[in-house]
Amino acid sequence: MPVHERGYTHWRPTGLRPDPVWWVIARRGWTGAWRHRWTLLLLFVAWVPAVVKGAIIFVKAKAGQLLELAVGGQWTSITPSGFLAFLEGQRFFVFLFTMILGAGLIARDRRDNGLALYFSRPLGLADYLLGKTLVVLGGYLAVTLAPVLLLCLFAYLIDPGATGVELLLMTPLRALLFCSLTGAGLSLVLLALSSLATRTVLVVVWWAVLCLGGEMVGAIGEGIGLAGLQYANVLGHWHNAGSLLMGAEPRLPVPPLASLALCALAVIAALAILRARIRPVEVVS
Amino acid sequence: MHDAECTIEINDLTFAYRTTPVLREVQCAIKPGAVGLLGPNGSGKTTMLRAILGQLPLPPDRVRVGGYDMSKHARAGRRLLGWMPERGGIIPGFSGVALTAYLGELSGLPRQDAMQRAHEVLHFVGLRDERYRPCETYSQGMRQRLKLAGALVHDPQWLLLDEPTSGLDPGGRAAMLELVADLAGRKGLGVILSTHLLADVEAVCREILVLKEGRLLARQSVSTGELHGRHVFEIAGFGGEAAFVEALKRLAVEVHRDGRHIAALLDVDKLPAGLGSTTARAVRALLELAAACDYAPRRLRRRPVTLADEFHSLIKPEAR
Repeated sequence: MPVHERGYTHWRPTGLRPDPVWWVIARRGWTGAWRHRWTLLLLFVAWVPAVVKGAIIFVKAKAGQLLELAVGGQWTSITPSGFLAFLEGQRFFVFLFTMILGAGLIARDRRDNGLALYFSRPLGLADYLLGKTLVVLGGYLAVTLAPVLLLCLFAYLIDPGATGVELLLMTPLRALLFCSLTGAGLSLVLLALSSLATRTVLVVVWWAVLCLGGEMVGAIGEGIGLAGLQYANVLGHWHNAGSLLMGAEPRLPVPPLASLALCALAVIAALAILRARIRPVEVVS
Repeated sequence: MHDAECTIEINDLTFAYRTTPVLREVQCAIKPGAVGLLGPNGSGKTTMLRAILGQLPLPPDRVRVGGYDMSKHARAGRRLLGWMPERGGIIPGFSGVALTAYLGELSGLPRQDAMQRAHEVLHFVGLRDERYRPCETYSQGMRQRLKLAGALVHDPQWLLLDEPTSGLDPGGRAAMLELVADLAGRKGLGVILSTHLLADVEAVCREILVLKEGRLLARQSVSTGELHGRHVFEIAGFGGEAAFVEALKRLAVEVHRDGRHIAALLDVDKLPAGLGSTTARAVRALLELAAACDYAPRRLRRRPVTLADEFHSLIKPEAR
């Protein structure tokens, strides 16, 4: 026997409760992303429209409808439709944040043989996928739902009589539902793309083509009067389908139900890809 | 608590990657202790470890760890296993201690416990101040130590080590083997050491499983007792080498090439009839045989049979 030994010791449980594995993965994803100063800077920029809208709401409450006529458009209104317009205006930041947080999430794990490492631990596909989805969803909600909720509260506080319970309860609930569903759907689509590559830059390109390219094609279609081209507007379909939930006018010249069906199909395809691609061993019989 | 009866049972395990069979009808039960998994490249060692981890789609009851069927209860089974992969095993962006704690949390440890365990196991494997550095800046030796820490952090009952000394210098290799031998010998952990380096197995393991082309060829003790009595005559020379080897084989002598030597494995208690009844006569007979084959020996050396000789004789092309 050695006189002194500081060697391997067995673990003595302390009785603390472990966090769910999906939460551990999500927490790690967030802390990893927010550690970068430029991510925080981008978040700050993404909140500028919300601050502008808040200022307009404030001035409007004090100066009446005159300002609304001057600024014009739904964007400044505090109705569900107005908030949908605001969310639509945030789509560039949605593209950026989801890309920064999610493009490399699975691609890097595939490149570094990380999937095998994860699946040598007591966790399943659902834990892994939920954790990774929450990372992207967190970024999405930070630039969409969070400002909407704060704006609702702000508008109610400066003029409680304006829309009352609708503004304090129903609009936030609708926004919560819309943002959660849209965010989760977009996150799954992005993660599916990420699972197809081992290089983050490739996923960034695909995501840009899908989001920005789709929007450009849609804009061209609108310009030349070809409504069929709007079907390529990937982000636009989520907002178009969301118009059903938010009680707003359709955002595209496409039936909202058709957009909803397309979004559902995209999620189903994404889940199928993720199920096929996320596995600890690359090629199995 | 560590269970002395936490056995790994493999029952009629057959597996193929697409149409390429990798494991064929492997059957064994492994009790806690240090076991070497030996085989040439492509023999199915890593696939066998992955089957034990429950990472392969297998029918029920092919692999059981501590009684858990890994096709149905992989999560419960994996709590008992710590895996040190040959490739990867490191997620860039983490410091050493953060990665180890993260793996601990993924294995079901509470956050505080995971961080405390991470520090303990990193200290044990010899990573001290380096533990705060980003792990992608680690040297190969430090990476191997970090991977071992990751495998140990949740205090498993079994360690599955896939080529743990790969890429290490002699000093790092000796240190790694010392750690593994300590874990297996004194801390009561079961160890499956997959490697093609026989010296690693001899240093750490009590028994070996030999895989070849996906089949379990042999299972035997590493103790020298079983090898006692058998000797190797190493012959180096020039001339009619092929004829000499053929002549030895006709006398039922086990022969394999070992670098520039011809190694003839002989049991000195049961020499083939053509070589006489004593060692001295066997040596003379060997020299006469060499001369008859126009093979001119420059050197002939007698030494005890090692694990390497046994391994070579098991995996030579005509075995099975």
